[in-house]
Amino acid sequence: MSHDHDHDHDRTVKPMVDEVTDFEVLEIAIRELCIEKGIFTADEHRRFTEFAEQIGPTPAARLVARAWVNPDFKELALTDPMAASKEVGVDWMEPTGFGTPSDFVAFKILADTPTVHHVIVCALCSCYPRPILGNSPEWYRTPNYRRRLVRWPRQVLAEFGLYLPDDVQVRVEDSNQKHRFMVMPLQPAGTEGWTEDQLAEIITRDSLIGVALPKPGVTTNVITETRPAVHGVN
Amino acid sequence: MTGHDSITTLQQIVERNQVWPRMAAKYGVENPVPPWKTSLDGLCDAIDKAECGPEVLSFKERRDEEDVLSATVYADLPYPENQLVALAHSLVARGIIDEAELQERLTSIRARLEA
Repeated sequence: MSHDHDHDHDRTVKPMVDEVTDFEVLEIAIRELCIEKGIFTADEHRRFTEFAEQIGPTPAARLVARAWVNPDFKELALTDPMAASKEVGVDWMEPTGFGTPSDFVAFKILADTPTVHHVIVCALCSCYPRPILGNSPEWYRTPNYRRRLVRWPRQVLAEFGLYLPDDVQVRVEDSNQKHRFMVMPLQPAGTEGWTEDQLAEIITRDSLIGVALPKPGVTTNVITETRPAVHGVN
Repeated sequence: MTGHDSITTLQQIVERNQVWPRMAAKYGVENPVPPWKTSLDGLCDAIDKAECGPEVLSFKERRDEEDVLSATVYADLPYPENQLVALAHSLVARGIIDEAELQERLTSIRARLEA
């Protein structure tokens, strides 16, 4: 179908891909065939999809912000992370509300100190604390990140723009089938007296993985000011 | 472990190359991932969690094969297209889904979606 009609619907609806792709068809085909073969039901699939769509890093940011302003809650987060997760709305025993997804685990929160910085990885596959952090970013799944982080952590962190002083030890925590981790970064300077809500805004997903540090005024690590490269101009 | 030989039906999909970055650019769409992405997440979870899952395709087998296939047979595909096609490949290579059956289903689903 052509999309060259001239009425202006930019202000009413976002554009959509107006074409059936082979990948969309393939996803449906595999799903239907699996359902017909009794591997899972349509309702099970729907509920897992609903889970995948509603998870994100918000509860984790809330948890860290609360720990920063409340020492008792920080203690709870470090000694009983399951209980602390529940207080921000995530029940690790039933994250989907109908049975755990495949990545159920023991969950641990890794608190950074002025001399130790944590970063998480899954060298084996792509294990990630999804109930509290959402789906993993694409790069987290790449062999590049998984293989190299455990061997050259400072080099890989530098590729994310994170340069740590030599007197800060980097500790890479490797997830596995039973264990999931999340980083609790240090509260940055310049945020003294902030409320939990204000703090939660600067605790980005990447700072909870450990490839970035929270900074006042930075509420996401994905939007950056860029300019196009200019070639062939003197 | 399954073979890494290409599967004709899937190879044709690769060659048609309707990958999301191309489609999104063609239609001016901003979503970073295709609309079927979360359904694929649900599909992977449903297989991993299925009672017969370990006999069909265990979580570790699925991810290991996805890594290998994404680096070899499907190296030209971006994520999550490579995840989807690798999953299809693993299921076909194991005989869980027959290739002819898959081809037939692809045709009927496309007809349904374009009706």
